[in-house]
Amino acid sequence: MSKRKAKDASLPVGECVAKLQEILRGRICRQQTPARPEGLEAQHKHLLDLLRRTAVHGESNSVLLVGPRGAGKTTLLQCALRDLLQDEEARRNLLQVHLNGLLQTSDGAALKEITRQLQLENVVGDRVFGSFAENLAFLLEALRKGDRSSSRPVLLVLDEFDLFAQHKNQTLLYNLLDASQSAQAPVAVVGLTCRLDVLELLEKRVKSRFSHRQIHLLSSPTFPQYLERVRARLSLPRDFPDGQFARDWNGSVESLCEDKCVREVLHRQFISTSDFRSLHLLLMFCLSRVSVSRPTLRASDLLEASRLCFTDANANMLHGLSILELCLVIAMKHLDDVYQGEPFNLQMVHNEFKKFLQRRSNSLYHFETPVIMQAFEHLQQLELIRPVDGSSAKCQKEFQLMRLMLDHSQVLEALQKYPQCPTDVRQWAASAFGWM
Amino acid sequence: PRQANPSIPSRSLPARQPANVLEEARTRLHVSSVPESLPCREQEFQDIYSFVESKITDGTGGCMYISGVPGTGKTATVHEVIRCLQHAADADQIPPFTFVEINGMKMTEPHQAYVQVLQKLTGQKATADHAAALLERRFSKPAPRKETTVLLVDELDLLWTRKQNVMYNLFDWPTRRHARLVVLTIANTMDLPERIMINRVASRLGLTRMSFQPYTFKQLQQILTSRLNKLKAFEEDALQLVSRKVAALSGDARRCLDICRRATEICELVGMGHVMEALNEMFSSAYVAAIRSASLQEQLFLRAVIAEFRRLGLEEATFQQVLLQHQALCRVEGLPPVGVSEGLAACLRLGACRLLLLDSSRLGLLMRVRLNASQDDVLFALKAD
Repeated sequence: MSKRKAKDASLPVGECVAKLQEILRGRICRQQTPARPEGLEAQHKHLLDLLRRTAVHGESNSVLLVGPRGAGKTTLLQCALRDLLQDEEARRNLLQVHLNGLLQTSDGAALKEITRQLQLENVVGDRVFGSFAENLAFLLEALRKGDRSSSRPVLLVLDEFDLFAQHKNQTLLYNLLDASQSAQAPVAVVGLTCRLDVLELLEKRVKSRFSHRQIHLLSSPTFPQYLERVRARLSLPRDFPDGQFARDWNGSVESLCEDKCVREVLHRQFISTSDFRSLHLLLMFCLSRVSVSRPTLRASDLLEASRLCFTDANANMLHGLSILELCLVIAMKHLDDVYQGEPFNLQMVHNEFKKFLQRRSNSLYHFETPVIMQAFEHLQQLELIRPVDGSSAKCQKEFQLMRLMLDHSQVLEALQKYPQCPTDVRQWAASAFGWM
Repeated sequence: PRQANPSIPSRSLPARQPANVLEEARTRLHVSSVPESLPCREQEFQDIYSFVESKITDGTGGCMYISGVPGTGKTATVHEVIRCLQHAADADQIPPFTFVEINGMKMTEPHQAYVQVLQKLTGQKATADHAAALLERRFSKPAPRKETTVLLVDELDLLWTRKQNVMYNLFDWPTRRHARLVVLTIANTMDLPERIMINRVASRLGLTRMSFQPYTFKQLQQILTSRLNKLKAFEEDALQLVSRKVAALSGDARRCLDICRRATEICELVGMGHVMEALNEMFSSAYVAAIRSASLQEQLFLRAVIAEFRRLGLEEATFQQVLLQHQALCRVEGLPPVGVSEGLAACLRLGACRLLLLDSSRLGLLMRVRLNASQDDVLFALKAD
């Protein structure tokens, strides 16, 4: 124990790695609130000012945080709330209600949740009494009786705001926004959504009551900033118990970020999407390869992780097919080429396959019709082919029109990587594509 | 369960009072601080006042329909009329009356209107059917010393049911001899009675109608000046700019006040620049910014969408067609070629923030893609960087 307190004590590698995994996994998987939102300082200030005015001055407000998925909307709100609650006065006064459009799927459920979180008088324990109508009347009455300077301000956070706009008549939104626009108990309505057209979802009278304040989280980092972010995510903090280990680790992260190969991989990730979440996924793959026997990150880890992230799901699926199924896919591709995207049925595929057998092959692949049908059905179960119209009952299986859900490139890639693909099948496929 | 007393807990310290000119201005500009008398609505006020006053003094009943787009001061004007009438009644100039207000949006379904009216009139709780019966009896039976009731029905269009019995009853009660009921109804559209009401309901509503026009820029300016009331927080030109912009778009006074309030947050003495900033913030569409902040592959995908639209001459293409263009564009730009999964992921991300409109993603390659913004916007956004 005394060792741990000493600044530069060296711990056994096992303990260091365990500690490292704990810290970095907490940072990457559990979405811990960072000390300050990166690249969102202006938005943070706007939101914090707004919340502070509600908490301290009792001003009612409404605001929408809009940004694509993984842009840090929830993080921004959490940062702002944390900074706000450091203020004694705000902490003692502010009441918080958190709702999520995925959980509160109807206004009734949302209202119960609000009542419960506010601990109004019709709540006993965790149960809310009364019907939907009574709950609504109760809440509105409670809000109406309050006033600006004497009642505690209520902060309502509506996550997945666009789903609330799909409720019947948008009653809840109307009432919350109306409360924020009239002389009642102060409320701040904060909505989080990823839809840019969210205002068009609102009814006219609801829209009129919304203050049209939108905070957009649309700034994207440049590549150097992105690299910096990777570095910040991976480096160990100063107060890591084993100073030497931390220095070594940070050094390796530093040199990793300078590596040309790694930069290429990260650049590919960056031009694909610059959001936090996909980056976290990539880093998580790397991190899981760090072990006691190999306590550093290597470029090969990152390459491997990137390969995992960018593999094509359908091409992977093709690798697992049998030769017969692969032949059927090739036959379908032929049909697709010849008839230019017209749908096909089992009979046509079978004919095409027969032609292949007659012309080229020895009798190795002569299968009975039921076997072919089985293979066809298997392809349908994997959703590699899809019926044109959903009604399967009306038509016999052999004559049902289908479409192939695969692209040329996927079939080609699968053929190249298919273990022990017979040469004649490969040639047949090549004759279809012409340029293989 | 028991006689509950709904309330929000009270603060430990009262809220801070505004400390400087800007905070004072912000408080006054908040939509909730409705002034004692509304500027620019004197004529409407007079009309409603004389209508209700004459009904109260004669002891008869009647209906009135008030329409206008949101934010034109309908509810506030009616509240002001009622307030003035209450003063008159307290001073014994007119007979006393009771005022009941219901709002179609503040109830869960139309029949709750009966429950709320009954509760506000007598404090009694009842089910919808029972409440309807009780109200029916109350309004049809003669009673000595009965006060006139003024009923305000806000958001009338929400009270529509298939048989329209709620609306029918609301408009039928005033026609009874002993009812002494004045019903004021408010809704947004002018032709609501013709559009959704069946004949016998529309005929009972009668022809006493009034429509609130959207505010003109002069009126909006006057509203702002009267709210600020000689407070030196705004330049004159800034106020004019806000009023002209809002009047050109909707004539919604709420919007006007919100923009001014936002402008006070940006700076000290509010000038043209700050107002412009607030206006841009609140009116501008975010599509262009969203496209600019998208990743390179997403931008390429958008370009591929437009290229494919140009090739087809249509405004819709399947994902497979767009993907071919996308791969070609990648080759031109010298980037690693996109796989199907990667392209699909970019497409779905654009779909999630509604830059694109997509079918269900189960369709995979066959999913149809449309743009949600205009092609010009997209091209402009892509070109500028």
